[in-house]
Amino acid sequence: MAKKTAQSSNQLRPESFLPLTPAMFHVLLALADKERHGYEIMQEVQERTAGSVRLGPGTLYGSIKRMLSDGLIEESDDRPDPELDDERRRYYRLSDFGYRVARAESQRLANLVSSARAKKLLSRTGGV
Amino acid sequence: MELRVSPRVYRLLLLAYPADFRREYGSQMTQVFRDCCRQQVQQAGTLGLLRVWFQALRDLVQTVPYEHLDNFGKENSVMNNLRRDLVAAVVCFAIVLMAFLTLRYARANQVGSLLLFGYALDAIVVTGLIGNLIVFILARVTRFNQLRTAFWTFLIINAVPALILALIGGRIDPQFNLGGVLIGYVVSFLFWYGVHWIRTQKDRRQIEA
Repeated sequence: MAKKTAQSSNQLRPESFLPLTPAMFHVLLALADKERHGYEIMQEVQERTAGSVRLGPGTLYGSIKRMLSDGLIEESDDRPDPELDDERRRYYRLSDFGYRVARAESQRLANLVSSARAKKLLSRTGGV
Repeated sequence: MELRVSPRVYRLLLLAYPADFRREYGSQMTQVFRDCCRQQVQQAGTLGLLRVWFQALRDLVQTVPYEHLDNFGKENSVMNNLRRDLVAAVVCFAIVLMAFLTLRYARANQVGSLLLFGYALDAIVVTGLIGNLIVFILARVTRFNQLRTAFWTFLIINAVPALILALIGGRIDPQFNLGGVLIGYVVSFLFWYGVHWIRTQKDRRQIEA
């Protein structure tokens, strides 16, 4: 099987990466609005999920490694002011392809939610 | 106190990950862990720190096997390095064994031409056993350049006994041949360093190919 790499990601369809692991999707969501460093990604996920999802360092950087290799995210060259932040931190941002993959995964999950609603497993307001 | 110790202990635990992964993300992971510890200690004190440790250990147990599996078969993966190092160790052991048996035969049968090499063979056998063991262990547990490690290991391993024998050999044995001993250890150093140099060149060619 051909290895998906950052170089070849432009020729790949976003759907070929689906379904994403929960950790990868959470990282993509965290990077959807701005670039962040590892600890910021962890905090964003924890806050957004009200503490129900906590990414450990191994899970976080394992996902980052795979997403960098697949071209879903990029390491940012921009560094913050050293007075404001530790310049040794690495910042990550969503790539264009990563953005398309995140949209495709969101659509897939939305379709699943629609199916659950149709089967009356979920109310219109989202409650069970 | 705990805030200084915990990240250091965590950094040691990161040795469980594949070397490539650790090199690329080890410092970032330690920094994230340190940030988590600081935040939790501020919020919940020692209990918070224990919570961070529990989560970090669970995360470690879950992700270490996955990273090793992900790395399996790649260049410089643990299994590939282990296979290569084991082949090198077996070759080194075979050379040491051959040298030892040749020397033993030469001494038992008074084969003059072989005894001429006796000093070199003695040094090759002794330094080969100790030196290759040290090089093998250092290659497994450190990131040192392997050829440089072999150079310094065999330099020290050959220089120390040569120096000791040069200082006390004459007092112990009146027929002690200082020149023969020194030549023996120089030959031994060149021999073992040469073996490692050839091995490194072969690895480099394989990577380039």
